[in-house]
Amino acid sequence: MPDFPAIAVHDLRKLYGDKAAVDGVNLVVPRGCFFGFLGPNGAGKSTTIRMLTGLVPPTSGSIELLGMPLPDRELEIKRRIGLVPDESLLFDRLTGAEFLEFVGRMYGLARSVAVARAQSLLDLFELGEKRKLIAEYSKGMRKRLAMAASLIHHPDLFLMDEPFEGVDAVGARLMKEILLDQVRRGATIFLTSHVLEVVERLCDRVAIIDKGRIVREGSLDELRAGTESLEDVFVRVVGAGREFHELEWLR
Amino acid sequence: MIRAILRAQWLSLSIFRVASSRRSALITVLIAALWYGFWTFLAVVAELLAASPGLRTQVETWLPAGLLGVFAYWQLAPLASATLGASLDLRKLLVYPVPRRSLFLVEILLRLTTCAEMLLLLAGLSIGLLRNPAFGGWSAVTRVVPAVVLFAAFNLMLAAGLRNLLERLLSRKGIREVVALVLMLVGVLPRLLMVTGTGARRLEHAVPTASNPAWPWGAAAPFLLGRHGGTWPWTAAATLAAWTAGAYLFGSWQFARGLRFDFQAAQATAASARDVSWTDRLYRLPEFLLPDPLCAMVEKELRSLVRTPRFRLVFVMGFSFGLVVWLPMMLRGRLGQSAISGNFLVVVSLYALFLLAQVTYGNAFGFDGSAAQLYFAAPVAISRALAAKNIAAAIFISLEIAAVATACTLLRLGISAGQIAEAFLVTAIAALYLLGIGNLSSVNYPRPMTAQRVSGGAGRAQGVMFLLYPVALLPVFLAFLARYAFGNQIVFFGMLAFAAALGVAVYWMAMESAIAAARNRRETLLAELSRGEGPMLAD
Repeated sequence: MPDFPAIAVHDLRKLYGDKAAVDGVNLVVPRGCFFGFLGPNGAGKSTTIRMLTGLVPPTSGSIELLGMPLPDRELEIKRRIGLVPDESLLFDRLTGAEFLEFVGRMYGLARSVAVARAQSLLDLFELGEKRKLIAEYSKGMRKRLAMAASLIHHPDLFLMDEPFEGVDAVGARLMKEILLDQVRRGATIFLTSHVLEVVERLCDRVAIIDKGRIVREGSLDELRAGTESLEDVFVRVVGAGREFHELEWLR
Repeated sequence: MIRAILRAQWLSLSIFRVASSRRSALITVLIAALWYGFWTFLAVVAELLAASPGLRTQVETWLPAGLLGVFAYWQLAPLASATLGASLDLRKLLVYPVPRRSLFLVEILLRLTTCAEMLLLLAGLSIGLLRNPAFGGWSAVTRVVPAVVLFAAFNLMLAAGLRNLLERLLSRKGIREVVALVLMLVGVLPRLLMVTGTGARRLEHAVPTASNPAWPWGAAAPFLLGRHGGTWPWTAAATLAAWTAGAYLFGSWQFARGLRFDFQAAQATAASARDVSWTDRLYRLPEFLLPDPLCAMVEKELRSLVRTPRFRLVFVMGFSFGLVVWLPMMLRGRLGQSAISGNFLVVVSLYALFLLAQVTYGNAFGFDGSAAQLYFAAPVAISRALAAKNIAAAIFISLEIAAVATACTLLRLGISAGQIAEAFLVTAIAALYLLGIGNLSSVNYPRPMTAQRVSGGAGRAQGVMFLLYPVALLPVFLAFLARYAFGNQIVFFGMLAFAAALGVAVYWMAMESAIAAARNRRETLLAELSRGEGPMLAD
C-alpha cells in the first residue's frame, strides 16, 4: 500500500466575513482507517467535508486527498471519492434505478455496468420499487439511496456527513456492515455522526472539532480515560454550560 | 399573525438580498424600474386622457372596454406568462394555529404580486376622473374610490380562487395536460368554428359586448363615471358588489379546498411492472450521438423535466397560448397580409422559446436545487453540465416548434413546409443567443424552483431573460427587416447567416464567462440553490 495518507489537511481555514467556520484545522487520516469526525452543531464538520469535496474553497490552508493536491488534481480526486453529504444530492424526478445509473455513468462506468450495479445496489438496499420517483422516498430511503450512489464506482475514500440519520435499525446495520467491509478491502472512511455509540463501535480514530478547531484527536483508547465512554469525553470537551433550569417559565 | 407571516417572508427575502451580490441587486432594480416605469407611463397617459374634459364622450365609450382589458390582464397574464405569482406555502403554515380567514386574506393580498401594473393603471385612471369636472371632480371621491376598490377586490379574489383551482387541477397527474389542452381549445374554438363553416358573425353575436352592465367591467364603468343624470349609480354599484361577493365566495371556497389538497398524493406515480417502457427507449436516443457523461446528463434532464409539473405546463402553454394570442387577427381575415401574420409560425415559436427560459435554460439548475452539488462533486467539468442542459433545452425547443407546426397544420392555417423550416432555422439562431444568456443567468442568478408545484419562480434569472430577450432577438429581427425592406430572400438568408455566426460567437463567449463564474461563485451558487423559502412561495 502506498505510504501517503488518505487525507492530509494543513492549517485549513474558512472564514465567512470575520467569523471562522473552520479555524486552522490540521488533520492526517491514514489509508484504510475508519475515521470519526465529531463535534457539536455548527462546529465546522460539514464545512470541512465540503472543503474536502471541493464544493467550498478554503480561505487558506492546503488539502491533499489520496496523495493528490486539491484543487490542482480535482477531477482525478473526485473519481476516487464516494460522497454522502448532509444535504440531498438526489434528483427528485428520477427513479432510484435511473439515479444510480446516472451517477455510475458520471463516474465513468459504461451504461451496461452502471445499470447492472444499480440494480444490485437497489436490491441490496431494498429500494426495489422501480417506477417510484425519488421525490416519493422517505428520509431513510433517501439516505440509503445516497449511500448506494456513493458505492457504485467503488471509491477509495468515502466522505460521509451523518450517513445514518433517519435510517431504520435494519438499514443502519446493513450500512455499517458494508462500510466495515470497505475498510477491510483498504478503503478509507471519513464520517461525521452525532450518534456516538455508532462512532464508538465503528471508528479506529476520532477527532473532535469545536468552534472550528480540533480539540481532541487520537484512537478511541487514547481519548477514553479509564471507564469513560465516548459520550462522556465528548460532553466534557464541548458540552458545558447549558443550564435550562435558569428558564423559570419552562419549569 | 398576519404580520408575523409577512415579517418572516420579508426577513427571508432580506437574507437572500444580503447573500446576493450588489450587481444582481442592481439588475433587479433595473428590471423593476423598466417594467414598472413602462406601466407608470401608461398610468399617466390614462390619467391625462381621463382628466381631459374634451374627451368625455370617448372616455364614456371606451372605459368599459378598458376595464375589460384590465380584468383580462389581471386574470390571464399570470397564465400566459406561466407564472402564477407568490402564494402561501401552506405546508409550512398549517401547523400553526392561524385562522383560515387570516390565511385567505394574506393569499388575496399576494395576488398583488401578479398585477401591480393594473393597480397603477387604475390609480392613474381614478386620479384623472377626479380631476375632470365633467365626472364630478374631486367631490366624486366618495364614488370613484369605492368603485376602484370594489373592482380591484373583485379581481383579487377571483384571481386567488382561479389560482387555487388551477394549481390543484394542474398538479393532478394526467389531468394537468388535459386542463391545459382544454384551455387551448377554448382559445382556438373561434378558429375551429370558422374552418367548419360556422362563421365569425355568429360568434360576434354570441360574445356579449364589453359595455353590458351585467358584467363586472360593464358595471364598474358607470359606477366610476357616475352618469345617470348626476345621481349615484346604485344599480351599477350593486351589480359590482354582487360580483365581488361572488368572487369572495369562489375564492374562499377554492382556498378551503386547497387547504385539504394533498399535492404529493396527486402526483404519486402508479406502480408498474414494466421494466423498460417505450418512453425509456426515447430517453435513451441521445446515446446514439453523444458520449458519456454528456449523454447521461442529457438523459437525466429529459427524464426530470418531462416529469416536472411546472415544466409540462409551460411546455403546453408554449404553443397553445401562442396560437390563441394571434387568433383574433386571423378571425378578421388578415392572415398573410401583414408582416407579423405572414411570419405567424416564427412569432409563436419565439414566444415558446421565451416561455421555456424560465423552466429550462434561464435558470438551468433551478429544479435541481441542492442536488446541483452533484455536478460539482462528480468528476465532470461544469462546462459539460451546462452543455448538457443546453442540449436538453434545444431538444425541447425543437419539440415545441414541431408542436406549433402540427397545431397550425391541424387548424388549416396554411403553413407551408418552407415556413416550418424557416421557423426551425430562425428559432435555432435566436436560441444561440438566449442559451448563452441563460448560461450566464443560471450561474449568476440561480434560484431553487419547486417541481411539485406549478408555480415557484425563476426569480431574477427570469427577469434577466425578460430584459435581454429583445436584444437577443435583434439580429434575427434585422434579417426580417431586411427581407421586408428589400423583398429579397438572398438578403434575408445572408443576414440570418451573419446572425448565426454572431450567435455562435456570443454563445461561446457566454459559455466561457459562465464557466469562470461557476468556478468563482461555486459556493454562493450552491448556497443559493440550497436555500429554503420563507412562509410564501415567491414567483
